[in-house]
Amino acid sequence: MSETDDGTDAGEFLESLREGVGITSTVRITPDDVNQPMIRHWCDVMTDHNPVYTDPEVARKSVHGGIVAPPSMLDSWLMVGLGARAPQSSEKGEDVGMLPIMTKLDAAGFTSVVATNSTHEYDRYLRLGDRLRFRQSLSHVSSEKKTALGVGHFFTTGTEFMDQKGESVGRMEFTILKFKPGTGSVPMTAEAGAAFAPKQRPRPAISRDTRFFWDGIDLGELRIQKCNGCEALYHPPMVRCPKCGAYDLGYKVSKGRGKVYSFVEIQHPQFPIFDYPLLAVLVELEEGTRILSNLIGVSADEVKVGMPVELAIQATDPELNLPLFRPARPARRETTLHFEDVKVGDELAPCPVAITPTLIVGGAMASRDFQDVHHDVELAKKRGSPNIFMNIMTSGGLTSRYVTDWAGPEAILRNMKIRLGAPNYPGDTMTFSGLVNSAGLHGSKGVIEVAIRGANRFGDHVSGTLELELPRREEI
Amino acid sequence: MTMSFAGKTAVIGIGATEFSKNSGRSTLRLAVECCDAAIRDAGLTPDQIDGMVTFTVDVNDEIDLARNLGIKELSHFSRIHHSGGAACGTIHQAAMAVHSGACNYALVYRAFNERSETRFGTGVTGAAGGATPVMVEFGWSLPFGMLTPASWVAMFATRYMHQYGATSEDFGRISVADRKHAATNPKAFFFEKPITLEQHQASRWIVKPLHLLDCCQESDGGQALVVTTLERARDLPNKPVVIASAAQGSGEDQHMMTSYYRDDITGIPEMGICARQLWADTGLCPDDIQTAILYDHFTPLALPQLEEFGFCEPGEAKDFIKDGNIELGGRLPINPNGGQLGEAYIHGMNGIAEGVRQVRGSAVNQVPDVENVLVTAGTAVPTSALILSQPG
Repeated sequence: MSETDDGTDAGEFLESLREGVGITSTVRITPDDVNQPMIRHWCDVMTDHNPVYTDPEVARKSVHGGIVAPPSMLDSWLMVGLGARAPQSSEKGEDVGMLPIMTKLDAAGFTSVVATNSTHEYDRYLRLGDRLRFRQSLSHVSSEKKTALGVGHFFTTGTEFMDQKGESVGRMEFTILKFKPGTGSVPMTAEAGAAFAPKQRPRPAISRDTRFFWDGIDLGELRIQKCNGCEALYHPPMVRCPKCGAYDLGYKVSKGRGKVYSFVEIQHPQFPIFDYPLLAVLVELEEGTRILSNLIGVSADEVKVGMPVELAIQATDPELNLPLFRPARPARRETTLHFEDVKVGDELAPCPVAITPTLIVGGAMASRDFQDVHHDVELAKKRGSPNIFMNIMTSGGLTSRYVTDWAGPEAILRNMKIRLGAPNYPGDTMTFSGLVNSAGLHGSKGVIEVAIRGANRFGDHVSGTLELELPRREEI
Repeated sequence: MTMSFAGKTAVIGIGATEFSKNSGRSTLRLAVECCDAAIRDAGLTPDQIDGMVTFTVDVNDEIDLARNLGIKELSHFSRIHHSGGAACGTIHQAAMAVHSGACNYALVYRAFNERSETRFGTGVTGAAGGATPVMVEFGWSLPFGMLTPASWVAMFATRYMHQYGATSEDFGRISVADRKHAATNPKAFFFEKPITLEQHQASRWIVKPLHLLDCCQESDGGQALVVTTLERARDLPNKPVVIASAAQGSGEDQHMMTSYYRDDITGIPEMGICARQLWADTGLCPDDIQTAILYDHFTPLALPQLEEFGFCEPGEAKDFIKDGNIELGGRLPINPNGGQLGEAYIHGMNGIAEGVRQVRGSAVNQVPDVENVLVTAGTAVPTSALILSQPG
């Protein structure tokens, strides 16, 4: 029989962890009404521009009849924020929830925490002024598991959400892994750190004639040489315009949008100064010139000639900025897809998300999640992580944005089930892809299920399914 | 425009070292050995040689060769630029030199330890020598990991596949034909080692869409040839192999390996320039060519060569090369020596020597009734080509 570090019997320890299973907490009240400032903050961070969340006029005319909160915010409303003010209890009962098991695991050395699964079910979208109540129960505690992150226990809680009238508005199942830092393999620690160590790529040789281009890159803009005589554009730069003969050459700043004209996946020989597999791409810019670069945030089998891409200037090491490209974020659909227009097997255009410290910290704040690993680099490192990493609510917010941007502003999210894998660290790019899994009528409602994955350089950060109700075409 | 030297000069001697992965000798020694052999084959003595032509990238100095070979006085020496694109250009230059009277007997050579000493396939990573125009040009590709010839060529291949529906198997057929021919050439490195299309498909990726077996080998060795006027050639022991025409080509908006900025990048316009000159000079057409030595450092660029010379329409090479058309016994056997994929990578010069043997009738894989052989040089660079023919 195995034993935990402090010498207690593993079987007894597990039993003590499972003491709370099956007991439901008191009903507690969330700290704030559903309110516009928090919604706006959330939408800003997620870059979710669906007007039903923020534009009263559009929202009023929509299927919702007024402003609604993004459904994926569901558990943000119960977060207590910094200072851990306990939610007010609205009735008598046993106060359980997550706290007792967290304390026991911490005491036994399972001090690191990561959310692994989240399932949301939405009965209705929340409106401004709603004040949620919730009830939690511990539904499952796993035996000790060896995971890539470390040795630990998974436990699952269930949460029911009610509105001020006591009517159910949604449910959540949430699974957490509490693990011992330093007992795993990838990619929390050394390997992840090494992957982000700057690699000294070959320096471009820069002449008087090409200095303007690299100066532009350092300033964050892609400059295309422009003849001041006849407006012709050139890349790579010239010293004389061959069309009109002018030596007076300036530049215009590219919009940074283009399409894949050709691409290759470099596999051999491998140089330690690059990450492999390495995608080289020939981009045809909207302005008409082409530029050689790398494609990031996408794997070779997802790239197609003609695929829209966008500029992503990156510092590949502290002294070198390079114009790289990633798949272009697909345009947000402004008129909602009809159920009849969607077929099983339809693919969603890939969508990259640049994982920046701002996104990670902003997402944590927008969801009122003050776990130090999501905003404090030094404390995150003390917990065995190479850097801060994205919280699950941000992953959920980005996932639902990806799918509703594809489906349109009046698609109604019925549920979202996501599983987290490789952490999202700053400097990475996560690229969403998706596929329509099923489509069918639930009574008179047209409902589809979309399977998504968001992959970063280590693998799938998030994968899961979302169910949406789409408007139907008018019966003739 | 017709070249005044067209049909008036000839190759009279060829000589080569063995082709290996490790010669165990200096490049200068290789150069001297192959030149020595070529001069003997021509039936000349070293003191009759008065001209020399090689590649700008060849490290063996003309004067070092002259001293070692016993060549006394040189009245012409010149070099051709742009790596493998120089191959047929050296013969072109030698033909012009002997026709103009700049020299009487021009020795053409290329020798290197490309496998055991200075490999091209390992790539370029540094900006040595500061911001020279060449290094500034490299600056548009090196920071993005485009460091090797395979990566530069693969970019054309993806676009060609996209535009014409060609597949990796279509590229593989070039490799299969080359290796089939090498299998019966005892001088070939891949003698008795044919491959199947399945093996090609199963070989590892180098730069996708290029498999390992799309990329030619790297070799140590040297190849030399001797050129003179047809008039002088008729007095020498070997049957003269007539240089019906030779041409160089550099296209509009030309770059070194990375001409990615043209309206269309599926063709090889610089090879088209060569083709137009050759057909115009000789009055020949594709039907008059019995065998072609196509530059094959990477298989994908063999296909548009067939298109540029008019053996088929743009995009249709994939159909032309099916059904064994490019193998011995087919409509247009290519690279009967095994090409650079099968015999050796001597920067295209061993291919010119094979063209000479095919006209002489002395090739190990002899194509029957050869009247005219087409030979091409390096692709994706400013290039060259020539046609060798029977003497009238």
